[in-house]
Amino acid sequence: MKQLYILVAMLLLSISAFAQDGRSLYNKYSDLDNVEAVYISPAMFRLIGKIPDMEVQDGSVNLGPIIKTLSGLYILSIKENRVAQDLADDVNRFINKGQYELLMEAKDNGETMRMYTVGDDFVVNSFVMLAREADEVNFICIDGTIPRDQLEALIADAAKD
Amino acid sequence: MKSIDEITRLSAEDLERIALDESIPVPEELSGRVSATLARQRSRSWARWAIPAAAAAAVLVGIGLNREPQPKDTFDDPYLAYAEVEKVFAKISGAVAYGAEKVNESEQTIDKYAYWK
Repeated sequence: MKQLYILVAMLLLSISAFAQDGRSLYNKYSDLDNVEAVYISPAMFRLIGKIPDMEVQDGSVNLGPIIKTLSGLYILSIKENRVAQDLADDVNRFINKGQYELLMEAKDNGETMRMYTVGDDFVVNSFVMLAREADEVNFICIDGTIPRDQLEALIADAAKD
Repeated sequence: MKSIDEITRLSAEDLERIALDESIPVPEELSGRVSATLARQRSRSWARWAIPAAAAAAVLVGIGLNREPQPKDTFDDPYLAYAEVEKVFAKISGAVAYGAEKVNESEQTIDKYAYWK
């Protein structure tokens, strides 16, 4: 009987561990009306990493050091109120279930922006940003094995510009 | 009657000699009890590997059922994909800069308050 409990517990754990992540949220919302969605796959990141000295915009963000460490990018931008609320609720659920740590939160006139990371002191395995504006919800999820110091330096450098 | 300890201390030759000694009475139900014990042990040994195997199978099924299909890449061109990644990091940096600005404003307010106090 004890072994049966362990079996059930393992099954539930395996289900909850995969219950929701950036990909599942993307799959759930990306095909809905009034949703802008962008996905960049691990294969595309590998391809980008093979092109030397890639720089396409004004160069204000130097992605060189971390581009090869990224393995997935999911973006959802939703304008429709009810769906936007559903997405925000789903994101909060998956943040609360996972090992995500709040990196930063800013609130202004009812608009909220939160950033979360999951990983350890040295590596970020997933970065999530959820921004709720008056008429829009934006969700960004970046997966990879990103050196934490490089990610922080990249964001800080770009923020200075 | 010998105790279990005494029996385990016996040599193989002694055990064989005792087993062949027909003068020692053997209970009639002994054969049935030995068979039942062996059958129980066989069923326990089956359960010993079957339960972990079932657990592993259940976990694999659980993982398989929850595996999300990989979405289709939005961009075929790596340059466009890179431009989007740049845009995303610029947006994140903008949000961080905004947060830092708010912290700075708050610090100035606190400093001003401390000065007038």
